[in-house]
Amino acid sequence: MKRRGLALTIYALAAYLFLHLPLLILAAFSFNQSRFTVWQGFSMHWYHAALEDSQLMEASWNSLIIATVATVASTIIGTLCAYGLWKRSSPVLAGSLYLSLVTPEIVTGISLLAFYQWIFRFLRVQLGMHTVILAHTAFSIAYVVVIVIARLRTMDGQLEEAALDLGANEWQAFRHVTLPVILPGVIAAALLAFTVSFDDYVITSLVAGVNSETLPMVIYAIARRGVNPVVNAISALIVVGFGSLILLSERLRTT
Amino acid sequence: MKRLRAWFLAPSWTVMLTLFLAPLVIVCAYSFLTRGVYGGISPPWTLESYQRLADPIYLAILWRSFWVAGISTILCLLLGFPLALFVSRSGKRKNLYLSLVILPFWTSFLVRTYAWMFLLRDTGLVNTALQKLGLIHDPLPLLYNNGAVVLGLVYGYLPFMVLPLYATLERLDPNLLEAAADLGARPWVTLTRVVVPLCAPGIRAGTILVFIPCLGAYLTPDLLGGGKSVMIGNLIQNQFTNARDWPFGSAISLTLMVIVMALLMTFIRRDQEALL
Amino acid sequence: MNRRIFLLGVTGLAACTRDTRPRLNVFNWSNYIAPDTVPKFEKEFGVRVRYGIYESNEEMLARVMGGNSGWDLVFPTDYIVKPMLANDLIGPVHRDLLPNLGELEGLFQKPEWDPELKWSVPYMVTAAGIAYNRKLIPPPRAWADMWDPRLRGRLTMLDDPFDTIGACLKKLGFSVNTTDPAQLGKAQAEAVRQKPLVRAYLNAEARDQLVSGDVLAAHMWNTTAQQAMDSSNEVGFVYPLEGYAVYPDASVILRESSHPELAHQFINFLLRPDIAAANAVTARTTTTNAGARKLLPPDFRDNPTLYPSREVVARGEWAKTVDPSTQRLRDRLWTEIKSA
Repeated sequence: MKRRGLALTIYALAAYLFLHLPLLILAAFSFNQSRFTVWQGFSMHWYHAALEDSQLMEASWNSLIIATVATVASTIIGTLCAYGLWKRSSPVLAGSLYLSLVTPEIVTGISLLAFYQWIFRFLRVQLGMHTVILAHTAFSIAYVVVIVIARLRTMDGQLEEAALDLGANEWQAFRHVTLPVILPGVIAAALLAFTVSFDDYVITSLVAGVNSETLPMVIYAIARRGVNPVVNAISALIVVGFGSLILLSERLRTT
Repeated sequence: MKRLRAWFLAPSWTVMLTLFLAPLVIVCAYSFLTRGVYGGISPPWTLESYQRLADPIYLAILWRSFWVAGISTILCLLLGFPLALFVSRSGKRKNLYLSLVILPFWTSFLVRTYAWMFLLRDTGLVNTALQKLGLIHDPLPLLYNNGAVVLGLVYGYLPFMVLPLYATLERLDPNLLEAAADLGARPWVTLTRVVVPLCAPGIRAGTILVFIPCLGAYLTPDLLGGGKSVMIGNLIQNQFTNARDWPFGSAISLTLMVIVMALLMTFIRRDQEALL
Repeated sequence: MNRRIFLLGVTGLAACTRDTRPRLNVFNWSNYIAPDTVPKFEKEFGVRVRYGIYESNEEMLARVMGGNSGWDLVFPTDYIVKPMLANDLIGPVHRDLLPNLGELEGLFQKPEWDPELKWSVPYMVTAAGIAYNRKLIPPPRAWADMWDPRLRGRLTMLDDPFDTIGACLKKLGFSVNTTDPAQLGKAQAEAVRQKPLVRAYLNAEARDQLVSGDVLAAHMWNTTAQQAMDSSNEVGFVYPLEGYAVYPDASVILRESSHPELAHQFINFLLRPDIAAANAVTARTTTTNAGARKLLPPDFRDNPTLYPSREVVARGEWAKTVDPSTQRLRDRLWTEIKSA
């Protein structure tokens, strides 16, 4: 479907520029010698500082672990849920998922904090990586369900019927017929879940513990104290890192 | 057969019950308690927090939040639709272009907000460039106002509009467009009379995914608005931090959620194109 | 299959060689300690320290309120100690474990918020005043100068209800700790009057804008102002004529802590004059430690921003805990100011 037209393409170019401009600026100034807006020469000094900052590195690592675990958990749970809801509707569950999507983050955050505080009265559970991972899994599930169910609805239910008629049980039908078809949707959902988790500040800052500082928390702390190109450097590294991942996966898909 | 289906839904049920609904019930309970002497919660049970909410100042804050969120959503729609259209018509490169939309969102949201502050400051790039080009003499106050907040919100939530729009556009049957062309419709007419109505579910989904977070936003208004105007999100956050008035904060949160749910129920009909 | 067993084995081994030294979890303000203080402590006492930072009392409180945060030692401002006590968050201070307690200045041996030092040990002191860019002529001298129409769009106030309402109270000649609703109401009216002139309500963020000249006058804490002055000669600081609020910070051991003795050792370590001096110099703050003051480098010791003259000190007023009913009024007034 190539009927894109020049106007649309130009617009898209402008839109992409808008989306990426702040990042390009950030990246450009991450190479700036001085801290301030005035360009004072090229330097990799901030990158060294970022990589040597143990707190920043530890937070990045934490963010990565949390996002990965939460993504895997929420994608699996969410996909199963989407499939179940597709077959048979459950208004209460669908309603809760909807609600979780539209609840403001601050409300989700403090409700979880209150919840953990209550749990603490009975079990000596401290705030830590696990509380963050659980929180992230909880709020990511709705995103996964939305995307996977949208994909499921484009699928022809008769494929499964055929498999069942040919003697497969429900699980086999799901695993060997439906899953491969919705896989792109599942992957897209996982991507979104990862993004949402990695980027989260509000909820994480409320339920994180002593050893579970995440990258957004550290960046917030650093950035609140004023301009600091270390933040630029680490952001540039993240974008390049993930960008390469995407490009690589695109390459692998199309070859 | 039924057992297996239940098995599919059980994990989500567990997670939703324990990690979402139970906490919400707790917040609901808190909203009916009293503020502890120096913060937190304590008995007795009371409706006081809700009565406090009836004050015009809080209603004004709610109204302002709706206004800002509404404008941001409309802008997201206007800006996001053509972009989604472009991506959906990009053939083999669809996923790449889609990923390019999402890519900026893997840097921290805070970093992107700070990038905008960097750009919009008096001595920031935009003003410096405009001055160098001789278009303006004194720097424009681009930051610390409602406009900057809207910009920040639109920038932050654009992908949440683009993704659902793209999802519906992608499934659009090209034959319909051909038919319209054959019947003599010009591209613009096809767009408005055929494409947009068929995308209604996507538009609805995108509107919800953007409007509601914008309503409850607090970081963006705080950082880009210079703390000068209070939105509902700021109010809630303030109750749980500075004021340590958990009951009042819970009451505001619950009220917001009830309003949001009411909006959703009128907006989303329980038909097949519903989000879930 | 073999690879999985191998990996499991390696992980198991790694777990066995885990560090078993006791670990102290310290939660402090950002930039409030010298870089080598913690490593020195770790080395001398053979322990590990996890050092976390926060930007505001509220942030710290939100985390420790539940009693399960995992932190051992935190550093609240004086007016937060009472609420923390009321919520049973603080463990007792054992004076016999703190031989260096005598190093504190006399004033801080019997502070108002904890006269017998049963619950807290003073750390450092900050105060709020006016920082200005020297382009502003004449420079501000009093809170009243922050209402000057010339400053429209070029002045910032602190994004903190106690500080900003406090500044208005001081401008009107009232105490920052007043509970009189009439006085508070007048202060709120002042703030609303000022709002059209205010560029933004900012804390540390105003520092860079002050240095670059975007902002000409900023309501700022003296430590932040000192940091600005370190990087630029263009910036000055003044303690307003009408008076100003003072915020001593203190270390407090959380009741949930599983290492109270180690926490005491850390506090005692911080009370050592050489350590306290190093901390004060790095953090650009005023120390409560008399022994440390003697060890400060001369230009620091006589720094008028951090160690002002006696008459300036006399104008300062220590911030006190706000009682619950006034808290609600203040909170409402702050909401009104912010949404005006």
